[in-house]
Amino acid sequence: MRIVDLLKPSSIKLGVSPATKQEAIDILVDLHDKAGNLADKAKYKEGILKREEGSSTAVGMNIAIPHAKSEAVKTPGLTAITVPNGVDYQSPEGDLSKLLFMIAAPNDGDVHLEVLSRLMTMLMDTEFSSQLMNAKSAEEFLSIIDKKETEKYPEEASKPVEPQKEGFRVLAVTACPTGIAHTYMAAEALEKAGKEMGYALKAETNGSGGAKNILTTEEIANCDGIIIAADKTVEMSRFDGKPVLSVPVADGIHKPQELINKIKNGEVPVYHHTGAKTAAATGEKESFGRQIYKHLMNGVSHMLPFVVAGGILIALAFLIDTAMGVNAQQAGGDFGTVTPIANWFKTIGGYAFNFMIPILAGFIAMSIADRPGLLVGFVGGYMATLGSTFASPAGDIPSGFLGALFAGFVGGYLTLGLEKLCDKLPNALEGIKPVLIYPLIGLALIAVIMCAVNPIMGMINTALNTGLIWLYENELIVVLGCVLGGMMAIDMGGPFNKAAYVFGTGMLTSASTMSNPDVAYAIMAAVMIGGMVPPIAIALSTTFFKNRWSSEERKNGIVNYIMGLSFITEGAIPYAASYPLKVIPSCLVGSAVAGGLSMFFNCTLMAPHGGVFVFAVVGNWPMYLLSLAIGSVIGMLMLAILKKPIKENEKSVDIKETA
Amino acid sequence: MVSEKLTLKNAQGFHMRPAGVFAGEMGKFTSDVKIKFNGNEINGKSLMNIIAACIKCGSEIEVICDGADEQAALDKAVELINGGMGE
Repeated sequence: MRIVDLLKPSSIKLGVSPATKQEAIDILVDLHDKAGNLADKAKYKEGILKREEGSSTAVGMNIAIPHAKSEAVKTPGLTAITVPNGVDYQSPEGDLSKLLFMIAAPNDGDVHLEVLSRLMTMLMDTEFSSQLMNAKSAEEFLSIIDKKETEKYPEEASKPVEPQKEGFRVLAVTACPTGIAHTYMAAEALEKAGKEMGYALKAETNGSGGAKNILTTEEIANCDGIIIAADKTVEMSRFDGKPVLSVPVADGIHKPQELINKIKNGEVPVYHHTGAKTAAATGEKESFGRQIYKHLMNGVSHMLPFVVAGGILIALAFLIDTAMGVNAQQAGGDFGTVTPIANWFKTIGGYAFNFMIPILAGFIAMSIADRPGLLVGFVGGYMATLGSTFASPAGDIPSGFLGALFAGFVGGYLTLGLEKLCDKLPNALEGIKPVLIYPLIGLALIAVIMCAVNPIMGMINTALNTGLIWLYENELIVVLGCVLGGMMAIDMGGPFNKAAYVFGTGMLTSASTMSNPDVAYAIMAAVMIGGMVPPIAIALSTTFFKNRWSSEERKNGIVNYIMGLSFITEGAIPYAASYPLKVIPSCLVGSAVAGGLSMFFNCTLMAPHGGVFVFAVVGNWPMYLLSLAIGSVIGMLMLAILKKPIKENEKSVDIKETA
Repeated sequence: MVSEKLTLKNAQGFHMRPAGVFAGEMGKFTSDVKIKFNGNEINGKSLMNIIAACIKCGSEIEVICDGADEQAALDKAVELINGGMGE
């Protein structure tokens, strides 16, 4: 990548006089924006500033090189300014900066390090840098760089003839819409032709069974060119800067020699990737823990929109019923659905929630086993929400999101194993593997496993119920409050949560027949507070302990205030699923404290749900609010202790500012 | 003179931040610090020299220290590189 290819005359501004570092940055970012290098100007600038926060990019010798590697970059580029009077760029050497280059690099590839390195190599020559500082016009500025670059890297000016390289000289990707026959035929034809021509060739097949024989970044970097024989889109960003020949899949089958010759003779144009989509380098070995995390996050990130949108609609439903003057106590379990419009919101929000858990499991499995994993994880997750067993396939006690995590991972690895196993089958069966074998066997297996696991949830549920009744009968009321609160937080919809909630609502319905109904109402109050703490504790943590979370997690944190206050515990699930060992214990303790305190203060509640919207029917509500606050703060503090600040380069999912 | 062969672990290579950390720490020693990479010897105390070398992730490098406090300098260099320079 030559500097002169990245730096346009219009991206150079000579003799400017910014008063501050900030102004200098603004000028350079503006130049990038005008040159069309950026997809998102604000986001890119954010990356630049974040990088400067760490340490200044002034390198001494009156030079500064601000840079950011970011998703917000559309095409890699450079901008430059000269500041004759210098600007204070907080150089560690104390000098003023007179020559500033700003690098914009897309997230993938090594463009970043290469440009930085090349600039440095050239700028170390003080004569060169002073020539640049004194340049009269952008054209002169560029020609000075061009001259220096040609001198330093002469091999680029006159392309060397076929350097001998090891490994695969030509790479190929084959794909067709159904991905069962042509994909493999083209790959085979290309590999065979390559062998005959004495040209090592590797072909990646993007069939419907997922990508096989994946090209590694190293192979891509070292090859002469890539043939894309495909009738559907394939992941292209990884080929940026390499000669790429795109043809229909049929050409791969019928004229492989011709295609290889084109690459060999250098007749293929270099491909420049546009668009922000980046994919993680494939084929590299990642640590097992890292892989698990990647799969988990694939599930969580797909689930998140369902949680946020559904949760807000349900909260709106409560708000509408409250505004319409619905009596929460009379409405009971119907609160949020009394007025037709509230009913509409709550039902639609509920639909989004219904998909939440299956989506989590489905996309975890898909991340593990590619497309064949989706069905297996999805149905497994759905069965977790229903609590299907052999005796009662329609459902019993749901295993909630913990069950779905189980379904996602087990389903994913199961499918992966199945794919490995099927590799031994004759090639003639290749076509029916993804359309029949994987789905059928995968579905049957996950169904058997989930039905075997779910009854355990039922047993846990029964045992818990017995325990709760024992506590109640022995009048260990404050302990009961702690236990109920904690149970609400432990699995957020699984057997523990379910047992606590059913116990609470059961008390509520039988309250009128009891001698001391206030105890029943107090139990319901402890249950609800236990479900309100987790989202609030997490929301507080994203507000007060920002360095623990990525920017995406922080943004979604705000929604958790609304969900927590509305008693929508599900808001905490994405966080609990991402970091179960840190989030669950914290929420558990926070909820238990809140539940215990609520009991201790004799707070009562006569509605089974609704959060702050039913505070009108809460007895001793100031203390209830206090208990909620204390529990949430304890949850937040514990989370801060358990969850260490994340590293600088992981903090932001989208802007990976580096260097 | 003491030396040790190491592999760079930083995912983004020896870019500006780690290079700054490394050069800064090495500057505290009186010994000469050199990085041998791709057959070239680079001054390990110079930020610009390190960056100019374009050392990518997974590259094998040799750190060579020579002078009064050479062992201490080398120990620090090994600790920094193996620790990914705080990344």
